Amino acid sequence: MTTELTVDEAAQVRLWHRVSQFLFREARLLDEWRLREWYDEMLTHDIRYSVPATDVRGETADALGLIDDDAARLRQRIEQLLNGEVWCENPRSRTNRMISNVEILTDRGTHLDVAANVIVYRFGHGRSDAYVGKCRFELVVEGESFRVRRRVVVLDHETLYEHAKLSIIL
Amino acid sequence: MTIEPQRPVGDPIVVDDFERLSFRVDRRAYTDDDLAARETTMIFDRCWLYVGHESEVPGPGSYVARDVGGRPVVMARGSDGVIRVFANSCTHRGALICSQPAGRARSFRCPYHDWTFSIQGDLVGVPIPDGYGPGFRKADFGLARHRSDSYRGFVFVTFDPEQPRTLTEYLAGATEYLDLIDDQSEVGMEVIQGAQLHGARANWKLMMENSVDIYHFRALHKRYVGYMESLGSVPPRRRGGFGRALGLGHGANELPPAAARPLAYWTPMFGAEVRPRIEATAARFVDRFGAERAERITGTNRAVLIFPNLMIIDAIAITIRKIDPVGAGQMAITSVALAPKDEDPDIRELRKSHYLTFLGPAGFATPDDIEIVESCQRGYLNRTVRYSDLSRGMNKEVPETTDELPAREFWRQWDRLMHGDDGHLEVAHRGEMQGAEAR
Ligand code: FES
Ligand SMILES: [Fe+2]
Repeated sequence: MTTELTVDEAAQVRLWHRVSQFLFREARLLDEWRLREWYDEMLTHDIRYSVPATDVRGETADALGLIDDDAARLRQRIEQLLNGEVWCENPRSRTNRMISNVEILTDRGTHLDVAANVIVYRFGHGRSDAYVGKCRFELVVEGESFRVRRRVVVLDHETLYEHAKLSIIL
Repeated sequence: MTIEPQRPVGDPIVVDDFERLSFRVDRRAYTDDDLAARETTMIFDRCWLYVGHESEVPGPGSYVARDVGGRPVVMARGSDGVIRVFANSCTHRGALICSQPAGRARSFRCPYHDWTFSIQGDLVGVPIPDGYGPGFRKADFGLARHRSDSYRGFVFVTFDPEQPRTLTEYLAGATEYLDLIDDQSEVGMEVIQGAQLHGARANWKLMMENSVDIYHFRALHKRYVGYMESLGSVPPRRRGGFGRALGLGHGANELPPAAARPLAYWTPMFGAEVRPRIEATAARFVDRFGAERAERITGTNRAVLIFPNLMIIDAIAITIRKIDPVGAGQMAITSVALAPKDEDPDIRELRKSHYLTFLGPAGFATPDDIEIVESCQRGYLNRTVRYSDLSRGMNKEVPETTDELPAREFWRQWDRLMHGDDGHLEVAHRGEMQGAEAR
């Protein structure tokens, strides 16, 4: 027995599929260290990328976080990573991002708010770490694709004692 | 080829040799589990240790729970406004009476059998009390209160009932630096919410040394320096700076700002818009303190090491960094930002932004510090190389910031305490403070 999708549902499935594909591509570019491509092709000029502190987890607007990059600082982060200037990422870590629970929270036509869960495994310098978090994306619709305007990764860890540092882009 | 001499008689860890202007630390100090255990009893059980800042418990009933010197404690402000530090352990059978890292409460109720303690630590409630005989008095079962005190908003505790020094005596020359920090606001300083809780797979002392080491700055932090220059950071208006030993293991570096300071030292990297506000603040400091002290408060960077495990770095932002050993080969780092309570919101944003550029587990500098101390720890696995050298500046009247005087001061106190000497040599040692080390 098959159930026909209504026109609306079919459109939602297509949108969800496009969003998911977009996020998977983002994850792949990051895992493949194609960071300039990611920056140039997938982000807006006013991108903001942040990782709140693990204690207040972004609940307090005025709180200090771990990362709060505007476009310029993110670009700089990328250049440093690619140029081998980051001691702990030279040689580069191997990473593997698992994106799941992709959910379109709101569809405002030109903008989408999207939630997803992420686990980033990182291996390098004799260490293996897993970063587990919840992502919130603000996507700007651009034709058939999107650009990320706001990218927040709220880590679920209580502390990063084990990880020591966060030298990759989550 | 030279061959290391045999270990000297007594096999000291710290080899402090004024004759040869040589200062060496045996790398067992960073790797040996027995020494790490001995540090707990000889150093952390005895010194005054930093707990937190008064602003973290702003009103009656507010508390924070954290580990200090490996012990869970609660710092709470009572309904009388007094800040107390308690053992976070129920006097009945031991459970943590407070498992929230921070909050506000009227009382603490132990989840195990519901004993209830007031925010002042008194035992106020015991369910089914007829199970105890007439000799049972609630007054005997209040939370264990630690001896605590604060200096200019910084709260410390000591677990040693015989600690001979008051907090102020213990802080020795470091009080001067805490004054320079707390003087930055007329209404008080506050910890900004959001702690950076991270660590390193290395001995805790490596991060203490690193935090007062300016020698590594240009080498290890090229990427940070490069970024700051790209933002329009200009070289300091004046040259110089110096390192100091402050007594009892404390040390400091003081130097002209390499970039800007959100309090009252404007350079173009902060943007033209905030310039009038920052310069007005600078002028107010001159009125309040006179030109010379105002320049020291607003126009000078400093890094202060307070023995054993507190670092306060006051540069493009102020960070309070508490560094806790977790055995010999691992540490836990808690970093928070300190700022004037009455800070202009735009300037607060600048401060936070520049804090993150440099500091924390994802900044453009701290991860390299973490990586390098972990790298040292790995290097120590090759025990053929026995000593680390910390002798820079022993040849100078006034050691520079690129010298290693503050680290030597740390190690000398470490060595005294590990030998069971709680610093009675301090008077003799005072001669070795700034300017007289190489007498
Ligand atoms: S252990 Fe706390 S009430 Fe029993
Ligand atoms: Fe550093």
